Amino acid sequence: MTVFIVRRALQAIVVLLIVTMFTFALLRAIPGNVAVAIMGPGAYRDPAAIKLFDSTYGFDKPWYSQYLLWLGHLAQGNLGYSWNLNQSVASLLANRLLKSVVLVGISTILALIIAIPIGVIQAVRRNKFIDHFFNGTSTVFYATPSFLLGLLLILIFAIKFPIFPAEGPQGNGLGAILSDFNALILPIATLTLITVALFSRYMRSSVLDNLTEDYVRTAKAKGASERRILYRHVLRNSLIPIATLLGLSLPGILSGALITEAVFNYPGMGLLFYQQAQKQDYPTLLGITVVVAVATVVGSLLADITYAVLDPRVRYT
Amino acid sequence: MMKFRSKAIVGLALVVASITALAACSSSSSSSPGAAASSGTPVAGGTATWAELPASTPNYIFPFDSSAYISVTNSSQFQFLMYRPLYWFGNGGSPTLNQSLSLADPPTFSGNNVTITLKPYKWSNGTSVTAQDVMFWLNMEQAVGATDYGAYTGFPTTVVKNIKAVSPTELTMTLDKPVSQSWLLYNDLSQITPMPAAWDRTASGPSSCATTVSDCTAVYQYLDAQSKNLSGYVSSPLWSIVDGPWKLSAFNADGHVTFVPNTAYSGPVKPKLAQFQEVPFTTDAAEYDVLQSQSSSSKLDVGYIPPQDVPAKPADAAVGPNPLSSHGYTLSPLYTWGINYYVVNFQSSVSDHAAIIKQLYFRQALAYLMNQAAVIAGPLKGYGTLTVGPVGNNPPTQWLSQQGKAGDPYPYNPGKAKSLLTSHGWTVVAGGATTCTNPSLCGPGITQGTALSFNFPYASGSAWINAEMTQLQSNALALGIKLNLEPKPFNQVTALAAGNCTVAKIPCNWDLANWGGGWSFAPDYQPTGETLFMCGSIANSGGYCSSTNDAYIDKTLTSSDLNNMYTWQDYLAPQLPFMWQPNAAYLLSEITTSLHGVLPQETTLNLTPENWYFVK
Repeated sequence: MTVFIVRRALQAIVVLLIVTMFTFALLRAIPGNVAVAIMGPGAYRDPAAIKLFDSTYGFDKPWYSQYLLWLGHLAQGNLGYSWNLNQSVASLLANRLLKSVVLVGISTILALIIAIPIGVIQAVRRNKFIDHFFNGTSTVFYATPSFLLGLLLILIFAIKFPIFPAEGPQGNGLGAILSDFNALILPIATLTLITVALFSRYMRSSVLDNLTEDYVRTAKAKGASERRILYRHVLRNSLIPIATLLGLSLPGILSGALITEAVFNYPGMGLLFYQQAQKQDYPTLLGITVVVAVATVVGSLLADITYAVLDPRVRYT
Repeated sequence: MMKFRSKAIVGLALVVASITALAACSSSSSSSPGAAASSGTPVAGGTATWAELPASTPNYIFPFDSSAYISVTNSSQFQFLMYRPLYWFGNGGSPTLNQSLSLADPPTFSGNNVTITLKPYKWSNGTSVTAQDVMFWLNMEQAVGATDYGAYTGFPTTVVKNIKAVSPTELTMTLDKPVSQSWLLYNDLSQITPMPAAWDRTASGPSSCATTVSDCTAVYQYLDAQSKNLSGYVSSPLWSIVDGPWKLSAFNADGHVTFVPNTAYSGPVKPKLAQFQEVPFTTDAAEYDVLQSQSSSSKLDVGYIPPQDVPAKPADAAVGPNPLSSHGYTLSPLYTWGINYYVVNFQSSVSDHAAIIKQLYFRQALAYLMNQAAVIAGPLKGYGTLTVGPVGNNPPTQWLSQQGKAGDPYPYNPGKAKSLLTSHGWTVVAGGATTCTNPSLCGPGITQGTALSFNFPYASGSAWINAEMTQLQSNALALGIKLNLEPKPFNQVTALAAGNCTVAKIPCNWDLANWGGGWSFAPDYQPTGETLFMCGSIANSGGYCSSTNDAYIDKTLTSSDLNNMYTWQDYLAPQLPFMWQPNAAYLLSEITTSLHGVLPQETTLNLTPENWYFVK
């Protein structure tokens, strides 16, 4: 297992390099002058300022030189500086990342808690009313765009019946966010309702597959109760695809939920990326890319490890 | 400054004074819609919450903003609350000098000598605001202004040969040549923000930028670096020294900002609120949800209704129906002091398009196809004003000529547009391609068979600009003029077209361009044309060049005679150096009816919560 992890970590570094190189090159291919994008169109009043900006930050060098310079800074833990927002990218990400992790993380966990039993019930009661009910409900939510669902929840629960605030928590830091948990309920509900459908469909399908496996028949033949078969044998094996799915959800958790963040005035990573992309804020875009790329690699690795834990037949060398 | 589209009372004696002032304010503002909406007894204290525009949060505190940080958000809505400019512009909605709120008396002129006399203002640390504090800013401008001041005009270097603080309250300047007194005041002295002596330092200790220009670069670098420490704004011993009515009590980089009154403020209008808060929003829709919701943890006292949610305003009404009136809000549109236009590129490198654009008859034909009135009535729902030339017309000022007051020089008239084209050698094919069939009439450089087809990048982020562009495209196509619209992000359009392509040495391969926001006159409030319309000016983005126009502009810079302004604009407006388009409301403000003193809003966009107070 250790060798496997080390090998995957080394592969991850190569993947990260390739991802950042591509992103860097693509960002540089966006039309327009970086200095003007950063300093605003008023910068044209002042060509000397544009020249000074370009030389100070290396924008007068070829893109590969700029990339190597950025890579050197990254190796020292310096993600760069957002001129647009007048903050270091690291501090910016620290603030926004926490918000996204709280929102998307809680909604993912909640979705799992709800989806797993639903999936199991659907599989056990296959083609019965309850199966059709959950199928229909989850399909409706899955097909509903998050902005629409969010706006509907605001309209009903914040405007018509003012039970919850129309916006997410406005404080910073974990304590401040969680202390205003009431404000988190609608955004979490939006994401959870959409995500439940995905997880429950996978779970249902996985449980159905396992119920037809030989080991279930063997267990039945040995006289094991249905409850024991379901919870001790089928459930564990059925969670394997969910573990993979969860691992692959990690980058999504870290990269935020753009639409939900925008609707609920809760500025996380997704919104940061969208807004800064429009402003050609290269350092911030690259910083987010690095974080999401790392999360993708780590998420994939975690999924593999979980897979091995859940399925003793799987062993890595 | 370019538009970015593309807003504790201590002690018994002070309480008594505040209540007296509140009573005065109550009676003086009773005619404003906000005040009229509810009457009541003024109360001292309270917290007023004001909504920032989406993705527009203050992030630079040092009132010497470089191009990267100069913005309405940082200056008018943040720094000016704490650090007052030497001269204040904004007078009941008019973009004119407000003598009462200025830190100095209006400058006096004697030949080429200018004298500025300061009023007895104090910094919050007890020291006086002195002529030396003004010298501090002027010296910094001389040292680093060309590269590090975002609204650099060349002042003082280009017009002043000698500046001297002759006493703590008096400063004299000797000018190189006679200049228009009003131009100097409105466009150069308007930029100055006195800075306290405590800021005249570097990391290694006190410096002397206020007396020695060569010391200023290091001081600027130190202060700029200090301004990058956003989390240290409140506790900073530098930034806590203010001469404005407010001081910071909380600042978060995400845009949540809280001000409390500066109890040592020496100006005439002291804050009545106990706190003033600015809160950020991700989108205008999210802000509108909060306005509508009664359960929100951050109830807004001053917000805005998104243009897509406001009902159309009847043509003869100042304000239309307000969906939030039942929630206790009053609607009031806020316009900026500026003009709006799309750019025609006289230097286009595309085929022979520059030759076509240089023809006045062609620009006139294009102008007749822009239906400003319909755009205001339609996509802008009545909340817009005509642009009539190079001088803003909302509100009308002393600078606007009679011709300007008469309205759109080229009101929508496709018949006249067609006639202009046909009389100049073009065969008009409605819905097809109009071509030049008589080159001798079309104009020099235009060859036979040339079709009227132009590329037209525009900023697609605004719904009304999208609608306007589609409407213009349709109107043009009816005369066989093909406008190839290219929707792009705001930044890409400005990067392409907001600078004179020849001067800025950037590609000239575009014909027409529209970033949607035109130009705001701030902090150079007098709309003289040297920045936008002179030959070779970097912000003259279309590259229009006329020696007659330059001569007229020169006169506006050297004499305060208003007739020079009138002569110049009456000449230039019909010349169409840019193509005039409507000016949209900057904001459709929603003001809670229990908060008075917010109206009238300043077209300079300066925020003055010291005028605000609650009633019960």
